Amino acid sequence: MTLPPSTVAPALELRALTKRYDDGLLALDAVDLVVPAGEFFGLLGPNGAGKTTLISAVCNLIRVSSGQIRVFGHDHAEPAARRLVGLAEQDVNLDRFLDVEETLLYHGGYYGLSRARTHERAREMMDVFDLRAKAGTRAPKLSGGMRRRLLLARALMHEPRLVILDEPTAGVDFELRMELWRYIRRLHSTGTTILLTTHYLEEAEELCEEIALIRGGHVIARDSAAGLRARYAADSLADVYVKAMGAP
Amino acid sequence: MSALVERHRGLIWLTGREVLRVMKLWTQTIVAPVLASFLFIVVFGLSLGGRIRQIDGFDYEVFIVPGLIVMAMVQAAYSNNSSSVFQARFDRYLHDVLAAPMRPWEVNLGLSLGGAVRALIIAVALLVLSLLLVDVPVRHPGVLALAVALALVLFSALGVIVGIYAETFDHHTFVNNILILPLTFLGGVFYSVESLPSPWQEISHANPIFFLVSAVRYGFLGHSDVSVALSLAITAALAVGAVAWSSWLFSTGRRLKD
Repeated sequence: MTLPPSTVAPALELRALTKRYDDGLLALDAVDLVVPAGEFFGLLGPNGAGKTTLISAVCNLIRVSSGQIRVFGHDHAEPAARRLVGLAEQDVNLDRFLDVEETLLYHGGYYGLSRARTHERAREMMDVFDLRAKAGTRAPKLSGGMRRRLLLARALMHEPRLVILDEPTAGVDFELRMELWRYIRRLHSTGTTILLTTHYLEEAEELCEEIALIRGGHVIARDSAAGLRARYAADSLADVYVKAMGAP
Repeated sequence: MSALVERHRGLIWLTGREVLRVMKLWTQTIVAPVLASFLFIVVFGLSLGGRIRQIDGFDYEVFIVPGLIVMAMVQAAYSNNSSSVFQARFDRYLHDVLAAPMRPWEVNLGLSLGGAVRALIIAVALLVLSLLLVDVPVRHPGVLALAVALALVLFSALGVIVGIYAETFDHHTFVNNILILPLTFLGGVFYSVESLPSPWQEISHANPIFFLVSAVRYGFLGHSDVSVALSLAITAALAVGAVAWSSWLFSTGRRLKD
């Protein structure tokens, strides 16, 4: 029996992915990257390295110049691939006209969940992220922490198998960060693939099974945290980062 | 039916979101334009109407109602969609829609329908209010329905296009104030173009909204300054052009995606 592509294929597969913006900036230069299904994968690099461009390309938010992107074996532009990906962007991009519950409901609707399942899942997400008391509050009136929770709840609303988190804890206080990571760990333990970008290197070191270092639109190294430390003869991931990013 | 709903669930929710926005902002999106247009009927029609002789055999207050409905409708369809799309781009919550498993035409249609629904609500409300004051007939309902449908398609699509191209909030008001509003006023809403001297009468024929007003007026009153077939054909051609343009933007991602 042949298994369907989504059960045997990597969660994410990039082949010669290139993105040149209209102003000529080459943000991604023939990037090859494979993220196995079920992995907690980190993507580290300085601002402007190409992390957000890579994520945006996977999620169909930018026009790719050339190359291939496959999500669990499906071309990333196909509806089948889109349903499998959940994205929490770095910027808080919540619909200003919708309250918390509506934000979740409409997202579920956009992703094709049935009406009953959408309502059920929205209640679940509000309970998990402690948003129930704010169900009727519009996004602009939420605190920064609440917005961040809602962003994550929205990304998980349609039960994606690949969750992409672009600096999800930026500007978040310590307690909420710990809380978010507890939930993300739990999610990962159920088999969900996590692709994370973060500037908190200790966080990446602790959470990620594999880490790719990206600089100038190229993946310059990829290994486990221990493997990277050994390769760069460094004591910590922070040392690895400094050496890798500072190298000519 | 349920299979169809299931296949296009994203489109249905997106349309619902656009209509919800209209309803949440009902004082701005519905009440204000209905009131403004109704005041035109009261002030121009009832106050000044007694001093203006009949136009094309109709009392002035009756003559202006179809044009005022067109004016309110096209502005509502346009400004609703241009502001909604621009805000969604500016605040980047459009990403939630662009990343979703919807086809480009579904996103285009979903974003367009909010303006169309708003314009229809305004048109119906304005007609009902007008009927309280003046006796406006509907002589050719089929022509009226077709002209209204074409107007909704044209200006809903135009709103989406401008919402996609706009760099600032001023751009979408600029198009409304500098293009749509003057063309509507000069499109024979308040007068018969036939009464204009040359060359203004000929120049008016270069105004696409003149043809739309003529078609809608024919639907209501059974009278038009030009051939109704020509009016419908020109409006339809413009509507097709606008939809083709917006479809191209969504299918290629131009201006929507870097």
